[in-house]
Amino acid sequence: MHASTKKWLITKISSFILIPLMIWFIINFVSIYENDYQIVALFFNKQLTKILFSIFIILAFFFSALTISEIFEDYIKDQKIKNVANKLLNIFAIIMPLITVTGIYSLS
Amino acid sequence: MEEKNNPISPHLQIYKWQISSLLSITHRIVGVINILAITIICFWSLSILLGAENYEVINNFFKSFFGKFLVIGLCWTFSFHILNELRHLFWDLGYGFDLKISKITGVLALVGSFVLTILFYLIGKNIF
Repeated sequence: MHASTKKWLITKISSFILIPLMIWFIINFVSIYENDYQIVALFFNKQLTKILFSIFIILAFFFSALTISEIFEDYIKDQKIKNVANKLLNIFAIIMPLITVTGIYSLS
Repeated sequence: MEEKNNPISPHLQIYKWQISSLLSITHRIVGVINILAITIICFWSLSILLGAENYEVINNFFKSFFGKFLVIGLCWTFSFHILNELRHLFWDLGYGFDLKISKITGVLALVGSFVLTILFYLIGKNIF
């Protein structure tokens, strides 16, 4: 399979999985965002929340890295700048979910 | 041939605006806004680790008019991205390429995003 076809397929699969997770998150976020610390902490302490939120964050950053690289492809002319932008994007897409998931799982 | 100064896609300043181009660029902008918002959400979830006292600042922000406005805005950006992404997935399966159908689904995605925003907010607030 061609690398571009593989990238396209992975983008589509991740977007398909991301849709129900976005719905799950936004509804739960609306239900708790105005609540006190205890309720928000209780939400993030649930095992189901930890699993779904972790998958949501990992997939969201993975999907964004794939799709934003396409935006760079369309708008950045200079190849060197494009490479640096893509590398920074990929580093950010790895570090951010890593910190978040580690933080969520260290909640007691 | 000198290509250095050629315009780069998607040629926003050249083509006449239509529903397809409007949704295409909005989809990209909303996608970038969403990942920035998700980054803030990551920090929000991590802020729980700082304890109840520190969380009070965030809680006060969310209870403010601006905080509520941002959350409703997030409901819209998520709604729009979900509906337009579904439109793209149907295209990928080979459906909805007809120009008329494409325009109709475009309008549906745009109007539907506002309806879905209200639904997300009402369901989240347990109003249903």
